[in-house]
Amino acid sequence: MLRYAGSRLIQAAIAIFGVLTIVFIVMHLSGDPTLLLVPQGASTQQINELRHQLGFDQPLWVQYVNYLKDLGHLDFGMSVVQHVPAAEIVASRLPYTMMLAAGALMVAIGIGIPVGIIMATGRGGWLEKVLAAIVLTGQSVPTFLSGILLIAVFAVNLRWLPTSGVGDIRALIMPSIALGAISMSTFARMTRIAVLDELSKDYVRAGRARGLSLGAVVFRHVLRNASIPVITIAALEIGNLLAGAVIVETVFAWPGIGQLAIQSIQSRDFLVVQVIVLLISCVYVLTSLLADFVYAAVDPRIRMVR
Amino acid sequence: MGEETTPLLTVDNLTIEIAGANVVDGVSFTVARGEVLALVGESGCGKSLTSYAMLGLLPPAARRIAGRILLEGTDLAAMSERQLRKARGKDISIIFQEPSASLDPLTTVGSQIASAFRQHHAVSGTEAFARARDMLVAVGIPDADHRLHQYPFELSGGMCQRIMIAIALICGPRVLVADEPTTALDVTIQAQILDLMKQLVATSGTSIVFITHDMGVVADIADHVAVMYAGRIAEIAPVRDLFARPAHPYTALLLASVPRLDITPKANLATIEGSVPFPNEFGYGCRFASRCPLATDRCRAEQPPLFEQGGGHRSACWHINRVHELKENAA
Repeated sequence: MLRYAGSRLIQAAIAIFGVLTIVFIVMHLSGDPTLLLVPQGASTQQINELRHQLGFDQPLWVQYVNYLKDLGHLDFGMSVVQHVPAAEIVASRLPYTMMLAAGALMVAIGIGIPVGIIMATGRGGWLEKVLAAIVLTGQSVPTFLSGILLIAVFAVNLRWLPTSGVGDIRALIMPSIALGAISMSTFARMTRIAVLDELSKDYVRAGRARGLSLGAVVFRHVLRNASIPVITIAALEIGNLLAGAVIVETVFAWPGIGQLAIQSIQSRDFLVVQVIVLLISCVYVLTSLLADFVYAAVDPRIRMVR
Repeated sequence: MGEETTPLLTVDNLTIEIAGANVVDGVSFTVARGEVLALVGESGCGKSLTSYAMLGLLPPAARRIAGRILLEGTDLAAMSERQLRKARGKDISIIFQEPSASLDPLTTVGSQIASAFRQHHAVSGTEAFARARDMLVAVGIPDADHRLHQYPFELSGGMCQRIMIAIALICGPRVLVADEPTTALDVTIQAQILDLMKQLVATSGTSIVFITHDMGVVADIADHVAVMYAGRIAEIAPVRDLFARPAHPYTALLLASVPRLDITPKANLATIEGSVPFPNEFGYGCRFASRCPLATDRCRAEQPPLFEQGGGHRSACWHINRVHELKENAA
């Protein structure tokens, strides 16, 4: 177990280092960032001064070492637009995105997994066909469209929910559904496949032969076995939700990091963008790491490899 | 094993249909208390379907369209799913061909055995675990206290089959159905499992319906043998009788095709020409007619009933008196 945990931690560390390096390279691929930052009509001297001040006149590898050094001190640089630390700006927006992601995850898992189980166990019945249609819809309608449709129906016509912005818990409902819908479909499909796969195994028949009902076999044995592929999806989906938040937050004027990313790109506040990209990448790596530990908790075959 | 006693289990005219074809057709046999009946036949002859039907566990595509399964007079085939759940594991149990796959990989074997007991007995977890431990000892697993806490992947195939036997027998069923329980195991382990089953039958009085395609296993464990071909019983007899005087061409050819160490083969090992017909090619007559060297027009037109040969030996063949020719040819 220790060895398993150790190797996963090392893998995660390597992945994060890779992420940092790729972000650095991408940031420098677009040429000299100084030109993006100076006001219109600045003199060559002003440009050179700013370039020197930001360190962009140094060789690339020196910049890279400084970049890693700064990150090591948790120094993510200053926002060139607002002149406050970029990390502070992102941190102020992060709780909103976390709230939204939690809401969306609740929609995705809370609906997706039960729907997948029902589709697998009620295979061939009318309920499966109805649910399959819902899942297909959830998967096919793009977020920007479903968001606008939700606003049109529930906020404009029925006036049940606020159109956009932050408020009480009701303001969270539509963005969560819009963001969670595609993920919900993914969970439903993966759960269905995983449960069907397990249902075909011999231990299901053996369980029924001991007098268990099919439902009891599903709850006691099948779900735990089927959870392993679903955990993998969960880890990937959490990262996808953060990426999807960029669109949903824009549609619903939700002040999270997705909206911040769009604003920062438009105002060329590249250090803020860099923090957001690093954050989302690290969330991906860390949720995968978490999934590896959950596997080990569920499956003794993984836990007990020597 | 006397002929006079009422049988423990009676399967009467069991008929199972898949997609319009009777893949099990009018199968009848009886099993006495403490007796081992072997159900023998090639793949696809309906022996496994027959065994699943006894527990009401037919796959969705298969449907029982006729027949009774009487366990001491109670018809299992007439039971509701709810009643069947109470009978499964308690009155009638089953073990399968793939022991490792028949256990939940994520649960310790101890709790799987214990839960089989608690399914039919209102006892505490501790008590059920104690019963599970006793059962492990009974099926010959050493170091039971340690094994209880192990997972199926930590045990060998033979060990897993012992665990399955422990699960199947913990509630003391009257009938154990064994669906090729040794096929997936290597030969020495196979012999150990057969010995264990014989010993358990002797001590508990449980009857066994033993499904196999292996004539060697039949000779080792069975008291009576029912030979199945294409969904029907071809011949049913006490085991010695069947080996000594097969009265159906299929049985005779099957026995001739078993490799023997005591005879130097003069030629290639005997085989039965052709293959089992598909259910849509069954026709009206004897289902073995297309492969039978003795077949006549009557065989192809008219289904033979089971003719009594004396001493519980019955054979479904129009030419029983010519079967010995096949045996002489093969020898």
